[in-house]
Amino acid sequence: MSEASYLVELREGAPRAPEVLRELVRELPPTRQARTIPPIRPLLVAGTGIAVAVAVVAAAISGIHGSGSSNQGARAVELRATRDFSPQIPSHGAAASGAYRAAPGLTAPSRLQSQDVSMSMRVKDLSGATQSAVRTTRRLGGFVAGADYSTGSNTGYSRLGLRIPIANLQQAIASFTGLGTILSQHISVADLQTGLDQLNARIATARKAGHKKQVTRLERRRAALVREGTYAKVALQLTTTKPTAKHVVPSRFDRFWDNTKDILGKEAIGVLYFLVIAGPFIFLAALALLGERARRRRADHRLLEETG
Amino acid sequence: MPTPWPTRKPALRDERSFASVAEEHLDDVYRYLLYMTGNPHLAEDLAAETFERALKRWRRFDPRRGAARTWLCQLARGTALDHFRSERRRRRREGVYASDIPELGDPVFGEGLSPELDRAVRSLSAAEREVVVLRVVLELDGETAARVLGIRPTAVSTRLSRALQKLEERMVSDVRG
Repeated sequence: MSEASYLVELREGAPRAPEVLRELVRELPPTRQARTIPPIRPLLVAGTGIAVAVAVVAAAISGIHGSGSSNQGARAVELRATRDFSPQIPSHGAAASGAYRAAPGLTAPSRLQSQDVSMSMRVKDLSGATQSAVRTTRRLGGFVAGADYSTGSNTGYSRLGLRIPIANLQQAIASFTGLGTILSQHISVADLQTGLDQLNARIATARKAGHKKQVTRLERRRAALVREGTYAKVALQLTTTKPTAKHVVPSRFDRFWDNTKDILGKEAIGVLYFLVIAGPFIFLAALALLGERARRRRADHRLLEETG
Repeated sequence: MPTPWPTRKPALRDERSFASVAEEHLDDVYRYLLYMTGNPHLAEDLAAETFERALKRWRRFDPRRGAARTWLCQLARGTALDHFRSERRRRRREGVYASDIPELGDPVFGEGLSPELDRAVRSLSAAEREVVVLRVVLELDGETAARVLGIRPTAVSTRLSRALQKLEERMVSDVRG
């Protein structure tokens, strides 16, 4: 008997179900097929898709909200520039002296004050800028209290300690800012008027009492105080070092994109955190499930092998 | 008569009653269970139980995941395995062994089957008969049979090859003997 013939025999001789069983099946209620329990896998896929979509939309909404209008962005940049004198703002004498005036509640012409100004600037010609700063200082009645000048193959710097009459300080700053790009500026004001008033009172008392030596000593102290309030200390640092990266004012789309990326990054970190925490448990559970299924499959096969 | 617009999911569109599906695949389920058990009466009982289960789970049947015949065969397999497990427990408990396959004079696995072939089939294990009935009698393709058995198609081919080889050997030895 050939292989094909017995296979055909098996196929053609296959028994039909008994009539009793057929009757039983015919009597089954005519249930219509209607899915009430959705399959899990498409649900999982759909759920993941929805979660991702929600995350992206939330990030986009947050990005739009955070980007603000273009005017807001520009104003924010202007404010920052005024505060920090960021390198991207081109320096103009008027603007910078305006910045000096913008520190205003600090200075009071009617009172004796000591003023310290520190400026850091990037210049193209270090030597020329240094000489120009020194010339301006002398022209305005000031003098150079200290200088530190250094140049290398690519970069160089010049640190000048200047004393400039307070009356001409604004003009000096306006002139210095024309030397290059302002990197930073710091102004500090200290009131000396109270100390001066006290000294004057003590001198008057000493005079009345006829204490000449004390009057002389107090007058010397008063002269020193007045001198301190006459000249402003200006620390001017000039450098040729270029900033590491050019700061560009971001457009609204850039701000939107940055915000969206931030939110998406945070969401990704959250998901990653969850996976790091729950991942091993999920992995072990999946492993256990697969192992159980394999074990059950093997047990079933063994059972069928043993069954004659 | 206008031609109906074709749909991508005919299985979903073609909603049929359970009774019609059951009647269509009744013979296949019965044959499958008969080959697994080797006992017509037991196969009849298990087939009835299978259709009861199927009726209860009919709402969960998803035609996109497989044909109704495959689904019914999977249910039938589960029913048969449950029976074998309970039988094994009973035998262990009672400490007795009784063969499921009755020693009948008439062929069990088909009316026109030669006695040698019927005996050869009867001598196979349930696992071997299972793969033979799926691939040869019900003519399921390898992938569908693999889905019913919960194994890979290559494993189905291997099992079938061994089962047929064994069947042939038994038939030859029966003829010689």
